[in-house]
Amino acid sequence: MKKIAFLVLIAASTFTLIQSCSKSGNSTPDKNNGSSFDRGAMLTNISTNIILPGYTAYQADAVTLDAAVTTFNTTPNAINLTAAQNAFIATYKAWQSVSMYEFGPAAAIQLQVNTNTFPASVDVINANITSGTYNPALLSNLPAKGLPALDYLLFGTGADNTAILAQYTTDSQAAHRKTYLATLTTEVKTNATTVLNQWTASYKTTFASNTGTDAGSSTSLLVNQLIYDYENLKNYEIGVPAGVQTSGQALPAKVQAYYSKISLALAKLHLQAVQNLYMGASGQGLDDYLVFVKAQYNGGSLNDAITAQFATSLAKLNGLTDPLSANIISNQAAVTATYTELQKLTVLLKTDMTSSLGILITFGDNDGD
Amino acid sequence: MSNSASAYFNRWVKAPVHIAPLAVLRIAFGSIMLVSTIRFILKGWIESFYIKPTFHFTFYGFDWVKVPPGVGMYLLFGLLVATAIMVTIGLCYRFAITAFFLCFTYVELLDKTTYLNHYYFISVMAFLMIWVPAHRYFSVDVLISPNKTISRVPAWTINIFKLQLLMVYFFAGLSKLNYDWMIAAMPLRIWLPASSSLPIIGGLLAQTWVAYAFSWFGAMFDIFIGFLLLSKRYRKLGYALVVVFHLATGLLFKIGMFPYIMIFVTIIFFSEKTHIKLINFLKMLLPKAGHYVAAKDYRLPAFQSRFIYTVLVIHFIIQTILPFRFLLYPGKLYWTEEGYRFSWRVMLMEKGGTIFFHVKDPATGRRSEIINAQYLNNFQETQMSTQPDMILQFAHFLAAEYEKKGIKNPIVTADSYVTLNGSGSKLYIDSTVNLATQQEGFGHKKWIRPFNSK
Repeated sequence: MKKIAFLVLIAASTFTLIQSCSKSGNSTPDKNNGSSFDRGAMLTNISTNIILPGYTAYQADAVTLDAAVTTFNTTPNAINLTAAQNAFIATYKAWQSVSMYEFGPAAAIQLQVNTNTFPASVDVINANITSGTYNPALLSNLPAKGLPALDYLLFGTGADNTAILAQYTTDSQAAHRKTYLATLTTEVKTNATTVLNQWTASYKTTFASNTGTDAGSSTSLLVNQLIYDYENLKNYEIGVPAGVQTSGQALPAKVQAYYSKISLALAKLHLQAVQNLYMGASGQGLDDYLVFVKAQYNGGSLNDAITAQFATSLAKLNGLTDPLSANIISNQAAVTATYTELQKLTVLLKTDMTSSLGILITFGDNDGD
Repeated sequence: MSNSASAYFNRWVKAPVHIAPLAVLRIAFGSIMLVSTIRFILKGWIESFYIKPTFHFTFYGFDWVKVPPGVGMYLLFGLLVATAIMVTIGLCYRFAITAFFLCFTYVELLDKTTYLNHYYFISVMAFLMIWVPAHRYFSVDVLISPNKTISRVPAWTINIFKLQLLMVYFFAGLSKLNYDWMIAAMPLRIWLPASSSLPIIGGLLAQTWVAYAFSWFGAMFDIFIGFLLLSKRYRKLGYALVVVFHLATGLLFKIGMFPYIMIFVTIIFFSEKTHIKLINFLKMLLPKAGHYVAAKDYRLPAFQSRFIYTVLVIHFIIQTILPFRFLLYPGKLYWTEEGYRFSWRVMLMEKGGTIFFHVKDPATGRRSEIINAQYLNNFQETQMSTQPDMILQFAHFLAAEYEKKGIKNPIVTADSYVTLNGSGSKLYIDSTVNLATQQEGFGHKKWIRPFNSK
């Protein structure tokens, strides 16, 4: 037995010499203050100060929008049209702050695709209006409802407001169109209300108390969905319209909010919302978590790198102009350059952040070894 | 010297020993495989890992392994369930264990996304079990034909499993003896604090010294546990350590069935007395147990033994060499992963990556970025982003896709960023190389950027 143990030790030390040539981390082993990061406090802060206010504002705007459309349908005139349009813009802006919470109540009703599948399909919308009946649950109706469809109905059915108004007054399909409009705003309102109510009723507690890091834990859901939603922003709000996936051939009509021409404003709000979640507003957020675990990047702090990249990305977006669809045509290079900066942020969030937190970044479930 | 060598050979290979440990191993392995397979099915993984993805990362040289169409995949898993039951109860054992080995290995070869060392371990164990008469005692087979019952088998039939387990632990331990694991306590320093919400011990897990303690204990455990289990004196202590160690890792990390598999199969190290007691205990639970048969030895014709010896010797030579093949490749193993699989390297890396592919039409010079999610599921994309051979496979797949779309000789490049054990993300592969023209093979992939390059 002794002989074997001796041989083992020799083999082991030889092996160590062979493979211990290089190290991976550039972080020096240092002691943290001995306590662990309080994920519960971070989750409570995020739900109380970011998610719930976000849903509350979005739901309130959705209610206002639905009411404005009801008023417009009863009395379709220029003033009520403008009121409905403004209510729509407010709702779409508020949506940017809640699109990344597709777990729990939102996931249960697939809020994201039901609310914001763009570009809208004008053909499907018009077919639905003409037929007068439609089933919102159908997958094929996703691009014919939600905010993108409302964007078309309220801003895209005519060249100007006079022409748009005609679609709801003198047009042969005016009655059907009004019904369709109302159905859509009602669904948006109902969905927003369902999610908000579940969050306030019980999910708030569920969310804050599930403090683990395994798949299905609140931190894991939050981080995974933040990244997923951020990639949607990068790809579908900027990249695809700029022609990144189509050999440089621009597809300006694919921007978010094509008809209301607020694409860039929305993209900025969206990025700021992602940043706000990352920072935990003014409380405990993912930034504090990364600082706590002393996550490193390129010799500096990872949090600094991420903060800087948020700033760079936002600065690039600020250099563009609305309507984004026109800007893509006039200065495609600038939009592509913005995309490149957004891409760098993807790497930092998706690779460095998740790896530093030891969070499973899989939307499904699987074993490791 | 030759005398002691032949004595040694006799003691470990030829000496007749009681068959009970083999019967227990058969039951333990069969039943844990049954649970494991059913768990896999219930989790819906057949659908999400094999049926839904349109593209699969097959192993080099095994491109012919394809997901069977229609309900084929379910039939395959049905067969796994059936053969696991047959192995457990010892019904048509040789056929059952061979079929189980083939089906299981086939499933594992379908997609390297799901590669796990413990799946490889299962294949190896099932392969070894093909060659031993584990059904000739306390089984349905001998219930049907009692004259087949034997009570003594040559020692090798049991010792091959001990040797295999010893190698698994020992190599796992050796691979932990490196800077990252021992000196930097990586990746446990990242992983353990992530479990800080556990009751009682949670607070401790965030402390740096705990990560060091776990790292060092883990390495020592892996290196020495096989020897502890072999020694009569420390066997009980060793097995207690096995149970505690595996249950603890099972609690802390998401490693599925692995801890239970190891706890079950390491029972083989116990003495034949213990195994006979175990069998007697099981007999009490059964209404109709096989009756006792007088001592009878297992005998094989000389040519058959010679054939089996040859197979086993080749197997163990391969097992010894494989974990060292990484030495043939330049660069840092964890970074390149050349020679990483099939070497019992477990839990060694916190590695994450993001990869963007571009396909360029050489005729127009225009290029498109690929949204990976259009072709891969998230699990596949995550695994691919840090493994060069998978990156190359996907690049070849993209090239073929774009050829179909009418682009001649598309140029496929990738911007890939990887972080390893907290290093911070760095450019992983040469983003100027046309991956479409790079060949897969056992040679070093020159387009992987060195870990230490700036």
